[in-house]
Amino acid sequence: MSGQYIIRRLLIMLPVILGISLIIFTIVRVIPGDPAYILAGPHATQEQMDQIRAQLGLDKHPVTQYLIFLKNLFRGDLGTSTRTGLPVIREIMTRFPNTLLLALASILLATVFGVTIGIIAGVKQNSKFDYLSMLVALLGLSMPVFWLGLMLMLLFSIKLGWFPAVGADSFKHLVLPAITLGANSTAIIARMTRSSMLEVIRLDYIRTARAKGLAEKVVILRHALKNALIPVVTVIGLQTGTLLGGAVLTEIVFAWPGIGRLLVEAILSRDYPVVQGVVLLVAIVFIFVNLIVDIIYSYLDPRIRYH
Amino acid sequence: MKMMKEIRRKSISGFVVLLALGFFFYLTAGLMGSSFAQTKPAEVKVKPAEAKPAEAKPADKPKPVAAKPKPKVPQKLIIAQGTDVLSMDINHVTDAPSFAVLDHIVETLLKLTPAGEIAPLLAEKWEVSADATEYTLKLRKGVKFHDGTPFNAEAVKVNFDRRLDPKAATRFGLLVAPIASVTVVDDLTIRIKTKFPYAPMLANLTHQANAIQSPASIKASWEKPVSKPVGTGPFMFKEWVTGSKMVMVRNDDYWGPKPALEEVTFRAIPDDAARVVALETGEVHVAVRIPPFDIPRLKANPKITIDNTASVRTIYMGLNNTQAPLTDKRVRQALNYAVNKEAIVKHILGGIGRVSDAPLSPGIFGYTPIKTYEYNIEKAKALLAEAGFPKGFEITLHPAVGRYYMDVSVATAVAADLLKVGVKADIRMMEWGTYLPFVLRDREVAEHKIFMLGWGCVTGDADYGLYALFHSGEWPKKGNAAAFYKNENVDNLLEAARRTAKPEERKKLYKDAMTIINDDAPWIFLHSESQVTGIRANVKGIVVHPTERVIAREAKIE
Repeated sequence: MSGQYIIRRLLIMLPVILGISLIIFTIVRVIPGDPAYILAGPHATQEQMDQIRAQLGLDKHPVTQYLIFLKNLFRGDLGTSTRTGLPVIREIMTRFPNTLLLALASILLATVFGVTIGIIAGVKQNSKFDYLSMLVALLGLSMPVFWLGLMLMLLFSIKLGWFPAVGADSFKHLVLPAITLGANSTAIIARMTRSSMLEVIRLDYIRTARAKGLAEKVVILRHALKNALIPVVTVIGLQTGTLLGGAVLTEIVFAWPGIGRLLVEAILSRDYPVVQGVVLLVAIVFIFVNLIVDIIYSYLDPRIRYH
Repeated sequence: MKMMKEIRRKSISGFVVLLALGFFFYLTAGLMGSSFAQTKPAEVKVKPAEAKPAEAKPADKPKPVAAKPKPKVPQKLIIAQGTDVLSMDINHVTDAPSFAVLDHIVETLLKLTPAGEIAPLLAEKWEVSADATEYTLKLRKGVKFHDGTPFNAEAVKVNFDRRLDPKAATRFGLLVAPIASVTVVDDLTIRIKTKFPYAPMLANLTHQANAIQSPASIKASWEKPVSKPVGTGPFMFKEWVTGSKMVMVRNDDYWGPKPALEEVTFRAIPDDAARVVALETGEVHVAVRIPPFDIPRLKANPKITIDNTASVRTIYMGLNNTQAPLTDKRVRQALNYAVNKEAIVKHILGGIGRVSDAPLSPGIFGYTPIKTYEYNIEKAKALLAEAGFPKGFEITLHPAVGRYYMDVSVATAVAADLLKVGVKADIRMMEWGTYLPFVLRDREVAEHKIFMLGWGCVTGDADYGLYALFHSGEWPKKGNAAAFYKNENVDNLLEAARRTAKPEERKKLYKDAMTIINDDAPWIFLHSESQVTGIRANVKGIVVHPTERVIAREAKIE
């Protein structure tokens, strides 16, 4: 894995971000709906609405608006939220760590449980454990996030009183949202690990390892797992990206103050700067996650070389 | 032998890896601790906040009966709304939840009692000129803003200067548009002159959008929203975690009755079900907008009380009076007879609402019951036939989506009722941000035919509820009269009702106007909303105001 390669990947990020900024800038302005209307509300005079429109910079030509946006972007200024008047960066930064925490917790749960279950199910193919775990995985895939969240709330918050239902005030508050969000990913990772494991176990070199007299545990964990994990790592990378964006439903159900909710609210109120800011941020994170995934590949499989 | 060691080593290292992961995770959580609240509200327990054990009090009380001292309950209230407060500047918000929050910190000159009367607040006395153009208010003495600056006529003037300055672009312009000038008469007297006779001026002064902020605070941020609210209210701003919660603490120097509460937190819990759960677990003390289907269960819960208060918000299906076949009054009346409003309120709203018997909600000054169009399919069909539509017609119907209580369900029920008389309504759903500009277009380009809207008469004065919606000068895009209704008699009556300051006269004029409006049926009149709020049984003194505010000024936790 050459340093050159990493630097090249990072440099390519720039035009990609630029392209994304242009796309999202255009899309929000093409969607019907006028931010000035929404901001001013029904009790405003026409005069005030025009004033607000001017304040938002929306009375200028779209190309001018884009150039202003780019200029500010290069200065690190993502603009101000049209709804709250606060800097977009501040709006995002008060919430992004929460989403990041939730996504990381979920993906950690999903990885630990998913990989473990997948390995056992793959090694003990067709056993009771295998059938049971794959059934549970199917459930995990099919359950709507929204429903699962509310069910967990009913059981663990109301009936048992073990965990709080809403908010992000403490560690305890993380548990239910993380389980809710991670359920889907756990299922996917478990199934992926299992099928990958099944493939790898049948390969010749595994037979060789066993013939050498190595303990089964060593065969599985040292020799088979590394290769089996390659497709799994891909899935984990993709899932992380999805979780960052798809945490919206979980965030809404648990009133978790993250960027998913922020993005939805911004779209509904046509808060252009916030929408643009959040999408750009998520894009950057996604690109980084992919880069890390690729680096992990090369450690898992020395045959993979980048130039 | 060696292999056992090998396995054990591997197991241990595997275990260590897991431990390391767990530790890393814990560290991350700690690092992210900045996003966790520093001050955990004491009520974030899962069991309802009951009394904390008191410290032992000395037994040498003078009373012969050794009364057990009442345990001290932390007076920290948590209220859950559906959305977060949108700005710290009360002049820059337009939504009821934001007003409800900021209302505790910044106060208005006059207040509207829950019964709908104008009462003193920061102003003690007032005089109105006979022609309703001059309003002289005597302000309360000895009041200070939270930043120590004095409250006086000059402070009020600065606030209205900002409200009237187009560059400051403050919201709710309709409330101050009639103002011509605001002058300081003396340190504690202010005079407001209006451009034309405008009797509702006092009512407008009760609205939170006209609350008085510290001049120092707004001067420092004239054209941008202030970053923290500085007012004269019983609570002071403490912190705002955007999207999550806003915390305020008791103002010990408050000019009025001091609150029993030390601290009030407003949380945003957007999901209805989650908000109810939070109320049931005790994580919040008050939850607004309880969905109808949860009400029986909550009523049966001894730890929760349900408050049902009427709202000043009227929900209606507007009819585009300038587009056939809605130009014909008989058609519009027929549609009113065709819709079973009682059934809608009973079954879709779960009884939470009140069928409209006037274009205004009760409790508003100027309201009198006129009549409801009773549910009568035969009459509807007869009128349609008379108007030339014996077989009905096709038309589009736009519900509001996610804006009002059960809005889509109500609109669907209306469409189903219309079908019974042959009117085939094609339901077109639009997300609110797209919908609002759509129904507020110019008459020439307007495409809406039957459209659902609500209007909160937030000043408690009939003028605000009628003029904006039924005066022909208020057609979009200038105004909100999206039904494009025009009746010169109504115009004259509404204008006359502004010109006189005599309440009895005004009431009569509004009654006449509403009678004509009701007969002309520019809308399908539906219902007024009700507000259903869930409150923990050990919290007393919460007031739910018809203008959609939860007021915690006098609340306490037992």
